[in-house]
Amino acid sequence: MKERVTYILSRVLELVITLLIVSLLTFAAFSIIPGDTASVLLGINASPAQLEALREKLGLNDPLWYRYLSWLKGAFTGDLGDSTAFGKPVAELIVSRLPVTFGLSFLSLILVLVISYPSAVISSGKPGKFWDQFFSVIGHVSFAIPPFVLSLISILVTSKIFGYFGVGKYVEPSKDFFGYVYCLLLPAFCVAVPKIAMAFKFLRASILTEKNNDYVRTSKSRGLSNIKIMFRHILPNSNVSAITALSIILSDLLGGSLIVEQVFNLPGLGRLLLQAIGRRDFPLISGIVFYLAAMMVIVYFLADILMNLCDPRLRKNGGNI
Amino acid sequence: MKATKILRTAAVAVMCLSLLFSVASCSKKAQKSAQEPTSVTVGITQEPGLFDPHLAVAAGDKEILFNIFEGLYKFSSDGKLQPALATDCAISDDCKEFTFDIRKDVKFHDGSVMTADDVIFSTNRAKENNQALASIASVEKVGDNSVKITLSTPDSEFLTHATYAIIPQSVADQNKTPVGTGPFKFKEYVVGQYVSIEKFADYWDSSLPYLDEVVFKICADMDSGLLELQNGNIDIFPHMTKDKAEMAGDKFDIVTGSSNMVQIFALNNAVEPFDKKEVREAINFAVDKQELIKLTMDGAGTELTTGMNPIIGDAYDKSIDGTYKKDLEKAKSLLEQAGYADGFDMTITVPSNYLVHVDTAVAIADQLKEIGINAEIKQVDWNAWLSDVYTGRDFQSTVICLTPDYAPMSEIARYHSQSTDNFINYNNPEVDKLMDSIPSTLDEKERNDIYHQILHILVEDSCSCFIQDPYEITVVNKDLEGYELYPMYIQDMSKVKFKSA
Repeated sequence: MKERVTYILSRVLELVITLLIVSLLTFAAFSIIPGDTASVLLGINASPAQLEALREKLGLNDPLWYRYLSWLKGAFTGDLGDSTAFGKPVAELIVSRLPVTFGLSFLSLILVLVISYPSAVISSGKPGKFWDQFFSVIGHVSFAIPPFVLSLISILVTSKIFGYFGVGKYVEPSKDFFGYVYCLLLPAFCVAVPKIAMAFKFLRASILTEKNNDYVRTSKSRGLSNIKIMFRHILPNSNVSAITALSIILSDLLGGSLIVEQVFNLPGLGRLLLQAIGRRDFPLISGIVFYLAAMMVIVYFLADILMNLCDPRLRKNGGNI
Repeated sequence: MKATKILRTAAVAVMCLSLLFSVASCSKKAQKSAQEPTSVTVGITQEPGLFDPHLAVAAGDKEILFNIFEGLYKFSSDGKLQPALATDCAISDDCKEFTFDIRKDVKFHDGSVMTADDVIFSTNRAKENNQALASIASVEKVGDNSVKITLSTPDSEFLTHATYAIIPQSVADQNKTPVGTGPFKFKEYVVGQYVSIEKFADYWDSSLPYLDEVVFKICADMDSGLLELQNGNIDIFPHMTKDKAEMAGDKFDIVTGSSNMVQIFALNNAVEPFDKKEVREAINFAVDKQELIKLTMDGAGTELTTGMNPIIGDAYDKSIDGTYKKDLEKAKSLLEQAGYADGFDMTITVPSNYLVHVDTAVAIADQLKEIGINAEIKQVDWNAWLSDVYTGRDFQSTVICLTPDYAPMSEIARYHSQSTDNFINYNNPEVDKLMDSIPSTLDEKERNDIYHQILHILVEDSCSCFIQDPYEITVVNKDLEGYELYPMYIQDMSKVKFKSA
């Protein structure tokens, strides 16, 4: 019990330190880039007096370090402040983008699991033979293809030739849930493809390593069939390293997929971050970075727990949980 | 046994998937029937910034706000001023007193009736944020439906500025809840997705608007906008490029016209070597504008000679057209005169988010090679461009589009040496003097003569190299009618309607 508490405490401390460092870096980067929200909002037609008035209204006349510190103070009391460019609470803006980002992440993760596991099992069954070569080549190609090229090609094929998937028509889940899933399917596929390739490579490698272990030979000599050995012994053992890869993939997914969002015109987190940077919106940038860091720590935390469940040794030896 | 189990699972999965698809495609088909409210979607590529009509100056904001707010006067699509919330205006002989008759029974979107007090309140509020209105000395009520505006200095073109929005005194934050008198009222703004406006039933012109709702959908860029257009999610897409407009398909009409914009290859008159008139002139003779228009706009643009757009009308002097015809020999000899016989190195700083300007800069650099000038292109982010080039005036040359109001003075005001917008640092006391004399010149013909003189000096001085007026290209669904192109950044949705079948 005591170990569990220290473990959770150390994780929380890790989260806090990560956020602090990340916010400092954001602040440093932000103070270097030129321009401010007022000049972006008003554009080329603004007079200096208008700019000054708007700066005053948006509170941009305070020095940046002061704005940083007051933001930091707010952040640790749970208030991310208001966006300077949009005038709305940062938390509200981020939450409004989560349906897209979560939906995309969830669908892509399912695709990754459903495709990478079977192909890795088949591929490592007879290494170097036809199916292994086949999947490896596809893996290499899909890992190398840039997401925007894949997005454009898949739009061309599905939408232009077969007439499926209305591109760019985002439907809110509260209005029409099936429409929401439907409009996210193709983007999720485009996000997932390189991740599938990555998960496949990880899994295949760890299955092959496990295969060379003594316990496989022992099982074989006891007369177990190859399939049984694979599903009862090799796969569960490979899971441990696969979880590491999957947690990296998931935390990446949850950060939003800028390029795919851009091509499919989806209102996700990636585009919000891009807009926030374009508009020099310090509270919004910090808020999103805050969210990203938090997501990453949470996903790794979950991965740890999963890892413990998969690996009995960690539990028996008085492991962390 | 196992095989059947797998098969069963597979069958269930296939059924679920097909169900999902059929439900989704059903919801897709259920659209438009006769009684349904009419809604039109307009594609925009920029995120709206400000909704407060007195604060917003960005072109992308103003084109939406035109539907929500109105001034005493407003522009029509032919660029003429028309009475809107005023019915008439009496101008004193010294061009200092403007007495407006206010239209009766005009309602704001919140239901209250517009009064002379609202006009006075709005005038004072707009004045704080608008340089063009700075000359207003006082506003007073001279009757229940009459307001007199007195200027400190005469302004013969004041009516073109009397287009500022009239808003009710009661609304605290126009940015969050915009309330005006326009044909449409503000409905909703979802960041990154859309701005929607809906029909204002109590609009003073009861015949307008025709549509029940207009949605300005924010697209990530023109490419994703084009995809949505082709898929039928967007009905009207303004500010397109010619090649993209032609890809829209046969369900759409292409509407083109002058945009009253000025694409300029701006030369900083205060830095070497552009402080020499001969160098600026040489550049004007070395640049082939027709070729630039062909390369960057597929030919969809009108060549410009100087800072004023010919579409403005009589204030423009057509006799200056064709002053600069590509003449490499002349350009070289001018460079020699200026002491740059072997050419020189220069930098063109362009905002990287405007592809047209980047393309133009590349093409210009290519053309300048012919007279020995070696131009390097430096792409900067829009923010950096605004603060370093435009405000800081720390640059050698740049390519940008200027978007003046539809008024002769607005087109050239930036070439006054004292103007804050004079980012090219042009300085000619004679031009200053002529410009200063315009506001007090009441006779339009006389005023136009002064404009002509100014234009001749600007051409004579080759203050910069003016390239083109890029055409405004809008793609409109063939089911719609009544869309009018304005020679300024305006999307007037009030007259748009579905063709009756």
